[in-house]
Parts: sequence; structure tokens; C-alpha cells
Amino acid sequence: MAAQSSCVASLYTVGVLEAVILRSFGPEGGQVLFTRDTGQAMLSRSGTRILTALQLEHPLARMVVECVWKHSTATGDGSKTFILLLASLLRLIHAAASKEPNVSHSYNSTKAAEAATARHLADKLLAFALKELDELIATGVVPYGGRISWEDFTATAQSPSLANNLCVQKLLRSFFHTRFGYTHCDFISHLACELLSYWKFKNELPSFSLQFVSDNFPALHTPVSGFPVCASRLIDGQVIHRDFATPPLKTDHQPVKAVVLTRSLQPTLLNTGDVLEVGCGGRMMEERSIVHFSAWMERSLQGIIANLQTLGVCVLLSAVKQSAAVLALATQAEMCVVECVSEDELSLFVRLSGTIPIWDCSMIEPEHVVTLTFCRPIQLGGHRYKNTPQRITVKPCSLVICAPGEGQTEQYACALQDAVRMLLRTWEPMHAAVTTTSKRTLQSHKSSSLHTDNLTDRTTYRSSAIQPIHKCVLEPGCVISAGGSFELLLHYALLQHGHSCSVSHDLNIDTSVSQLLANALLSVPQKIYAHSPKGDKSSKDSELDLGLESVSCKYQLLLAVLQCVRSLLKVDTVLPTHIALHTQSSRPASTSWEDTEDEAED
Amino acid sequence: MALNGDEEDFEWEPPTEAEMKVIQARRERQDKISKLMGDYLLKGYKMLGECCEVCGTILLQDRQQKNYCVSCQELDSDIDKDNPALNPQAALSQVRERQLASQSPAPSHTPELNESPSSSQGNMSVPQPRPEHCEGAAAGGRTPLPPPAVPSPSAPASTAVLAPTRPSVTPQSSAQRLVLQEAEEAVLTKLRWATNQLQSSASLEASIQLCSLITSCANSLRSLKEVSQ
Repeated sequence: MAAQSSCVASLYTVGVLEAVILRSFGPEGGQVLFTRDTGQAMLSRSGTRILTALQLEHPLARMVVECVWKHSTATGDGSKTFILLLASLLRLIHAAASKEPNVSHSYNSTKAAEAATARHLADKLLAFALKELDELIATGVVPYGGRISWEDFTATAQSPSLANNLCVQKLLRSFFHTRFGYTHCDFISHLACELLSYWKFKNELPSFSLQFVSDNFPALHTPVSGFPVCASRLIDGQVIHRDFATPPLKTDHQPVKAVVLTRSLQPTLLNTGDVLEVGCGGRMMEERSIVHFSAWMERSLQGIIANLQTLGVCVLLSAVKQSAAVLALATQAEMCVVECVSEDELSLFVRLSGTIPIWDCSMIEPEHVVTLTFCRPIQLGGHRYKNTPQRITVKPCSLVICAPGEGQTEQYACALQDAVRMLLRTWEPMHAAVTTTSKRTLQSHKSSSLHTDNLTDRTTYRSSAIQPIHKCVLEPGCVISAGGSFELLLHYALLQHGHSCSVSHDLNIDTSVSQLLANALLSVPQKIYAHSPKGDKSSKDSELDLGLESVSCKYQLLLAVLQCVRSLLKVDTVLPTHIALHTQSSRPASTSWEDTEDEAED
Repeated sequence: MALNGDEEDFEWEPPTEAEMKVIQARRERQDKISKLMGDYLLKGYKMLGECCEVCGTILLQDRQQKNYCVSCQELDSDIDKDNPALNPQAALSQVRERQLASQSPAPSHTPELNESPSSSQGNMSVPQPRPEHCEGAAAGGRTPLPPPAVPSPSAPASTAVLAPTRPSVTPQSSAQRLVLQEAEEAVLTKLRWATNQLQSSASLEASIQLCSLITSCANSLRSLKEVSQ
């Protein structure tokens, strides 16, 4: 069996990946224990983490893991569901292709015919999904779910008459439940809600504040290992992850003024290899030496410090390491210096305070000075940091994430970041520009082709077509109960759509495509409930507890899976090369390698 | 599914029941392979970009840079399993399965095997047993006979092929004793070798094969002792 068609090869590889993640899938899924050679162990259920930890040299497998990773970076969740859907789609496409090879072309063998049919099917699936899927979801799935408003963070804020009790915390709770299990999901979801409610910008879309939190998350959290998870909390002010280089402020007099330095105060006029010519304007005076030069340098430095003192500055936040002379002078002037502040923390500080960092040390203006409410050292775990808020409309707060070990803190931080991304995807206003134009043309086609037919039902159809198009677009904040409901509802909606298409003798190609997609979707609830054969009564209770999931995230997942299927089936053959095309590099580099390999093989 | 690529109209016919069984078996086998490969991947094996030349499954590589094919080395061969005449490996595995199946229920079956000592000897000394021999031995293992019943193990096909130690059992000449002693020694060395291999064996399939080898060696020794008495 030398040459396997790409359909069969990708089916095998995705089948293997499916077997890898299957046992961790679902609410009853198990965890994978990762051990490093250093002896560090970590438990994880996250699909992305499991898949990226596998050692894969097979190019199709690497391509799939790449797609999963990209999808997870965009939406924060759904990597295991991705693989399951991918596997079931490939199986169904393979079955459909071997049944009806494309008879219009002549091929060398049935294998080539099958491959061409499979490719064609994948293209049709993607086209169908891009065109009609959001409408189907909006009509077939969303009515059974609900909408969360951005204001409803916790259940207590809502009126108790609402049966569903939809709130952001519930959505986050089910998300964290898939990551951490029952133990800490309540606590962490509560913490996340607190963080997000602090960072709510007034008069802005929820996606704005979510994007802000997502972008600045590394600067907004502090991982502390060695404490139980319940010790995680929010603290006021922004935490700068550096200690004071000079003794901290003795008196806590408020307000504190600070400046941000991006360069060393003492300019490095001398570099290695430079020759310094010391003279005094041609006049021959007593001998000048390097001592005089450094004395001159110190005098200019003293001038800068004096300037800062007149402006009332007490704190210097520096992005680079300052020289010893600067530190000594600053200590003398009772200013505290924090050196080597990381770029993202400084940019967050600058953004929140609205100040301008100092570039030219000789020109320091009042606009470079920012007033802080307080600035004090804080001890978190084994490290001392600096804690400093600003006087702005939004009170900043920082998250302290505690966990027993370093690996776990990283896990929690990643999970929180993924949760923010998931929320961002849920509340992102859907870019309906492309889809609305396609819908308009589609509906105009429908109306023009139907004007010769009966009036009664067609007029109603046409009138619905004329209705404003934004109704078909997924509204932000749509959620549905988790546990496979989305897939089941969409399955039935697709089957109905297929029936209606075949009835109206319109677009009859779509029937097979929608049926294929509908059957593929069933695999997800099948796998969820295959693990847990519970009795009737207990299953009802557990259904209520399964929580919520975001509809737009699921929609994105489907589109990503269909795109992955299409790119997998585009590959004609896999050519083994004995030259190393790449080394074990970081993700972006290997991405480009995968793309070029696909293009070469097309 | 014949290659009808050059014909313009390819009529798809639904597969017959036999074909359905084959398809079903293949799918199950593929699922088994996927599951095994998934387990190995989680253990730290690397999935290579190459396929096995024999069966086409994706190869795995362990930490010691050794390539490993899951279907060839763990699962039974899929090729022509129903026809042991074409695949001696399949024949051998069938014989082994029959032996294991016959040995595990009751020790009363061992006299059956004792009556065909040369068959087990034949198993050891002939690595690729001829099909008639296998069928005879398989027939011997399959049919549940009372111990003293001789006719089935002494099926004419097997006796015709096997070494003629059977009819000349009773005359106790010194030459025969020498031959028996040599046979005993050979069996003992094999037994020793098999035990050493078993101690260092890491694969499940190899261990099963070695255990069955040891069993057949022990049986041969017992029958040799009976013959010499």
C-alpha cells in the first residue's frame, strides 16, 4: 500500500489524534499527566496542551495540530471538539466519496476519483457553511438558548423571576469546569467576574474592555506559587513586577508623583572603542583628565535630578537599568527608582495614566509627570513587587493567582486568558458586511426566480426576504446550554433545511451537503454521552448543571473545522524528504513551513 | 471494487454481505490501530511521517529511536487471514490460538497433544509449517475428543507428513535411545533459550509466543520420556 490518497491518510492521522483526546473529552473526561525530565509533573485536560505536547513528525498531523492551536488562540476553547468534528467529517466524506466518484471526469484510478470527489465535497461544505450556517443557527439554535447581557455578571444582579438564570458567571463556570473540574471552578469564575467588572469601561462596548483585558493580561496578573488556589485575590492598583532599586519611600505622603523613563538618565557618551579627546576649547589650561569629564557628567546629572525634584517627582519608573551614579543621586534626593520594568507593564501604566514617557532627559516637562494615589512595595509569595494605582476613571486592579506549583499557576493564568478570549468572541459584534451582501444577492435571486409562481406562500417568503438583514446575524451574547445541545439543534435545523431545499427543487446540491454536516455534528453529543451512562433522574439533574456555552464560539469552531478539512483534502500526496526542512522552532516559524509544504504539494 | 477508471459510467452497487463483513472488520481493525497508536503517543512515542512498507500503517518511534509498527507487531496480520495456505504467519498464529484454546480449558486435552508429540516438535523445528500439517494440528486441537481416542490426531495427512517416530515407538534400540537423548537435549536447550528470552522480553506478543514454546517443549519432554520408558 504505497500511495494512500490524502483522504485516507488524513483519516488515519485524525483518527489517531481522536483516540488521543477521546478519553479526556466531555464532563467526565480524564486528565493527562505530563512529566518533564526535570521531574515536574502537571495534570491537564486542555486539548491544546495535550495535542501540542505530542511528538508528531507526520506532516498532516502537524497541520491539524497547527489548526487546532490557531483556533484555540482565537476562541480560547474547543480544541477537543475540533478534533472530534474533524474526524467524523472526514469519515463521512470518505464514505460519500467512495460511493459516488465523480463520473464527469476520467481519472487514472478510483482512488484519484475518490480524492477529487472528497475535495469537491469539502469545498461545497465550506461554501454552504459560509453562506447559510449563521442563518440556520440564528433560526434553529438561538431561540432555544438565551442572551446574556454584559451587565449581568452574577445571578444576584438579576430578577429572580428568570428561570434560566443566565449570567456571565454561569458561562465562565462551565468553561472552567471543563478545565479544572468541580473543585475550583466556582471560585475561579467568581474571581474572573470580579476582575472583569472592575475593568468595565463605561460607554464602551463589552468587546472593548474584554480586548483590553485580553491584551494586557500578562501585566494584569501575578502568578504566585506555593499557596492554595483559594488564596487568589484581586488587589488594588497595578503591580509592577520589580522591586525598588533604591530604598522605598519613607513617608507615605500622598499624592506621589512619578515619571516614566525609557532611557538611562546618564547618557552613554562613551562606547567601547571610542577615543575621548579631552580639551577645553583650544585654550591650553592645566591638564584635563577623565576625572574632569566624569565630574562634568555628574554635574549634568545633578541638574536633571534637581529638575525632577522641582517638579515634585518621587518615583522613577525606568525601562532600562540605570547607572550607579543615578541611583546614588536619586537616593540622595529621596527619590525611589524601579528599574527594568517590562515593556507591557510600562505600556499599560502609560496607557492608564495618560502620561508620556521621557525620551530626552534634558527636557522634562510637567506633562511627563503622573500623579499616583500610592506607591508601595508589596510582598507576594517569595517576591517583592511595587504596587501603584493611578488617578483615572477606572480604578485599576490586579489579579494575584495562587496555586501550589508553578505549572499550576501557569495553567490557571492560561485558563483565565482563554476565558477572556471566549467572552470576547461571544460579545464581538459579528462583521456582517460580507455576509449581508451575499444574503442580499441570494435573496434577490430567490425573489426573482419565484415571481412566476404562486402568490400565497411565495409572497410571505419574499416579504421575509425583504426584512432587514441584520436579523439573520448572530446577536452578541447568545448562549445555549452545554452538553451537546448546540450540535443536536443544528443537526435538526440542517435536516429541515435539506428537506425544504429538496421540496422547493432549489439548490438540490445542498441537501447532500447539509445532510453530511448534520450527521457529522451528531458525533459530538454521542461522544459526550457515551462516557456517562447515567439513569434518567440523575441525568436530568446533571443536565441543569452542565452550564452554558457560547453560540458564536461554536459557529467559529464549525467554520474552522470545515476550513481545516478543505486544506487537508487539498493535499495530493505527502512526499518524504530526507533533508531537514526546519528545526524544532517556535510556532509561527513552523506555520510558514506547513503552508509552503501544502502549496508545493497541490 | 475493480478498477473501472476507464469506463465512463461507473455504477455503484451496494456491497454484498461478505464485503460488508470485510469492511466492518477493516474498520474495527483500524479503530483498534488508532487506539493503540493514541496510547503510544501519550506515552511519549513519536509519530513519524513514514508508513510501514508491509501494511501501510503510520510508524511510531520510541525514545531509543527504534521504529515500531503497531499493526505488524501487535495486532494479527490482516492479509488473507482466512487462508493459512497463503500466509504461514497466519497459519502459525492460528495453530497457536488453537493450542492456547485447547490447553486452557482442561488438562485432559494434553494427552491429545502427547499423542502427537512430533507435531509440537514439528512446530519448533519447522518455523514455517506446511499447511497440511497446520490443518492437522488445528484439527487435533479443535475437536474435543476423549483422551484415548486416537483416530483424529492421527489424521492420515499429518502422519504422512510427520517424521515417522510414531510407528517405530516400541523397539528400544540403543540407536533410538541415542536419538531420543539428543532430542531431549535439543528440547532442553530450546527450553533454556526460551526462558532467557522470556525474562528479557518486552513485547506482549513475543511473551505469549515464548510461553507457548515453553509449553510445547515441556510436552515434548514428557512425551520423549514416555517414549523412552
